[in-house]
Amino acid sequence: MLASLLLTFALPAVAPQETPRDPVGRVVVYRFDTVETMDGETLSNVTMLVRNGVIERMGQAVVIPDHAEVHDYRGSGKVAMPPFALSHANFLVSDRRGDGRNTRYTAADSIWLNEDWSEDLLEEGVLIVGVDPPGGGLPGRTSVLMVDDQTGAPNALVSDLHLKVMVSTSSSAKSLVRDGFKAADKAIADEDKARAEWKKAREEWEAKQKEAAEAKQKASEGKDGVDGKEVKKGTEVKGGKGGTAAQDEGGDNQEDKGPPEEFEVPKMDSDVEPLVEWVRQERVGQVWLSSPSDWLHWQDLLRERELQYEIVLRHGSTQNLFEVASSIAATDLRVDVPARLSFLPYTRVRANLPAELVAQGVSKLILSPSSDSLTGLRDYRLSVSQVVAEGLDRKVALRGMTVEPALSMGQEEIIGALKIGAPATFVIWNGDPLDPMSEVDIVLSEGKVVYDREKAEAEDQS
Amino acid sequence: MKTQRKIWMSLFCALGLQSVTFAQEPPEVVETPPSPPEEIVEEVQEPVEEVAGEVVEEVIEEEQIDSELFIDPDSPYLYIHGADIHTVTNGVIQKGDILCKDGRVMKLGESLRKPHGARQIDASGMQIYPGLIAVDSSGIVSGRGLSIRDSYDPYALNIDLGLSGGLTTVQSGGAVAKLKHGTLDGILLGEANWVNMNYSTTSPSGRRKLREDFSKVRDFLREEKRWILDKALGEDVSEKAPEPKDVNKEYLSLLKGEAVAHFSANSLKDLLATCDLLEEYPMQSVIMGGREAWACAGRLGRVGAQLVITPRAKSWADDSLNRPSGWSIENARILWDHGVSFSILPGERFISTGGIAGRDLLTLPMEAAFAIRGGLPQDVALRSITLDAAKLLGVDHRLGSIEVGKDADFILCDGDLFHYRTFVQWAVVDGAVAYDKMNAPYFAHIRPRAAESLEEVFEEIQDTVVGEEIIEEVVAEEAASIDDPEEE
Repeated sequence: MLASLLLTFALPAVAPQETPRDPVGRVVVYRFDTVETMDGETLSNVTMLVRNGVIERMGQAVVIPDHAEVHDYRGSGKVAMPPFALSHANFLVSDRRGDGRNTRYTAADSIWLNEDWSEDLLEEGVLIVGVDPPGGGLPGRTSVLMVDDQTGAPNALVSDLHLKVMVSTSSSAKSLVRDGFKAADKAIADEDKARAEWKKAREEWEAKQKEAAEAKQKASEGKDGVDGKEVKKGTEVKGGKGGTAAQDEGGDNQEDKGPPEEFEVPKMDSDVEPLVEWVRQERVGQVWLSSPSDWLHWQDLLRERELQYEIVLRHGSTQNLFEVASSIAATDLRVDVPARLSFLPYTRVRANLPAELVAQGVSKLILSPSSDSLTGLRDYRLSVSQVVAEGLDRKVALRGMTVEPALSMGQEEIIGALKIGAPATFVIWNGDPLDPMSEVDIVLSEGKVVYDREKAEAEDQS
Repeated sequence: MKTQRKIWMSLFCALGLQSVTFAQEPPEVVETPPSPPEEIVEEVQEPVEEVAGEVVEEVIEEEQIDSELFIDPDSPYLYIHGADIHTVTNGVIQKGDILCKDGRVMKLGESLRKPHGARQIDASGMQIYPGLIAVDSSGIVSGRGLSIRDSYDPYALNIDLGLSGGLTTVQSGGAVAKLKHGTLDGILLGEANWVNMNYSTTSPSGRRKLREDFSKVRDFLREEKRWILDKALGEDVSEKAPEPKDVNKEYLSLLKGEAVAHFSANSLKDLLATCDLLEEYPMQSVIMGGREAWACAGRLGRVGAQLVITPRAKSWADDSLNRPSGWSIENARILWDHGVSFSILPGERFISTGGIAGRDLLTLPMEAAFAIRGGLPQDVALRSITLDAAKLLGVDHRLGSIEVGKDADFILCDGDLFHYRTFVQWAVVDGAVAYDKMNAPYFAHIRPRAAESLEEVFEEIQDTVVGEEIIEEVVAEEAASIDDPEEE
């Protein structure tokens, strides 16, 4: 039994090497007891046919081709589901920076990865990580990394994603954000002014060009007519009387092309540019809050302004964020919250903020580890299971670990629901993924095995 | 979360009636001294059984039920009914109603009509006072001046605790701010334009310098006045008004009456020195401390000083001095006798959850109660922590008393404000409930309110069942739960 099990494990790792088949048209079939599709369904007794890294067939009645490589995990209790996307893996960031407007930085500038970083993440079933720029206030823009054991090097999918904004209940933090908005508004106003000036200049110039062309045409018509020379002379005199403008016109005709055809956008301060993009709704912000009053102060900063943003809630073991849960839910924003059972302030009454948010109507919920560290990541599933045990819907929780953060990072192509036509990117767990004792067996990315626990453990031992 | 609380509340309901019995006992702490008849604080209360009976009776009237059911949580109206209203300026209205609209008191009196959909607090048996005002505080709100708004946390524990102690307004960092829950709107009332004066007896040279500066300011003001007069009379004077060069701008604003001088004086020597200065340079002033003020109350009254005293602050008489010295429990009473306006503050101007309880802003009425023990009339004690405090901060046009047109800032207490057993049950700020003892973490479990207000009972019924029959059933259950403790 054990031998046969080992054999099955060994197969995917060994088989491709022994028979170097052309991967094109390669068909691999996986058979599971349970597949968490993240499409709102948990399928049982599933046969999944993967061709060229894409799920071609999935269901109970799938015909297995003769040449297919079959991995039959039925009866082993293994579960397949999309990999986790970690929204804030800031333990990968090494720099330290104070509070202030540092929007010119991206998180990718500051990451520092040790040798085992990818294995550490893959063995917890994480395939994509978001990293934040260090520091407070307006620290910069977030980045997204692909965890890939094969290359070992950081594979930045997106280096410049959300604009991180830390809002807190203090006048200094508020004025930082307020001044940021002011600077952005000023930059926009300056640009609009420059554009208006350019437009005016260009129109004037074009009008003059037209006038000159007409005059020229008239002159040429005059030539054809009776008193060509006189007319021409007339225009010349007229031009002379017109003074500098007319002289310019003359100059334009010969050398100067006038104002540029396309408006040249004046160069902005690199610290202001991301804010301008945000204000123009060309960029998504990420607003970090840690107390309910922060939410009020954020509303106060926002006022009538319409921005695209997500909310990241970060709080300690006690919180009273439930006070604003309904107000947050009413905005229909994506909310990132630590999977943690906390206490209501000054009581030992346990509060389940993720469940409370969902109950109030938050539909896009991201669950992140309660502590931003590798240890926190190892406790991730334990804390999520506690939150689920105390009232959060299991499917919402699983979505909040996989599909929702991937959507937030714009990587829904990589981590999405498991369905026909989707890439075969999934994790095979040796049990219920929310059981803290379960482990990752295999991580597949587009049909390729990027992590295999047996292999990794064997390597570690050797 | 709400449902959790409701369950707790209903649990408390079964046990809670006894508590009201405590709260309803007329607390006879001090003898009320003779004062105008309408200002006598009457403590006539009905026995609890009758209150409970009332609830049941009202429930049975179906028409009333209907009107109770329609409560619009966003209604601009707040209707508080059935409480003794201590208006501060116009005596006590027994079993009166208050109708507030948009955060202001709209009507005040007996048997007011309740507008349709108005939010409602059934305050039968409660005592309503204006929200208390702390003329100085630290740690309740942070920041200075206008920046207070940007660092205001309306969910902070200290705000809740302040409200639980009856405070609705505090001065901090030179600004007057309201204590509110869950909103940043309208928290700043204005700036307390105080000029801190160092006029202590320990520095004679500093005092001389200060007097010289004041003399310069006075000379300038005379010059300016002469110029204005001359100009008005058409005399030959310069076009430009004299400019305040080499003149202390703060003192100028003081002598012009634009700011309030803020002294600190406890000993008789300091107090008399301050009086001398105030006689020479009349200005608005606040003297913090005033421990030996009883010994020069007449003098203080004549210079029009306002004091902020701490009745429980003690210091023994110094027998080596050939003059009265030391503290007196009668300090406040003597000051009042001499017409000196004063406010009361406890020894610590913050809210403390550690140390020895009862000497911080959590128990401001207790400090005033100590002055009552020394002979201060109860209504004066109330005025000292409401209207007189508001006057001191220059916000008495909005706060400090319950009057039509003023801000709807009240505290609803389950007994006399100056009784040690009394709790603030609700604090209303700007016409909205900012604090409800049953929902606050600190005191909810201590003598919880007997029955929930009708409003809450019906809210629950609305949530759970529909149909008159079932309503009756629930009402019967509710009545049974009210009866239960009596049988015990």
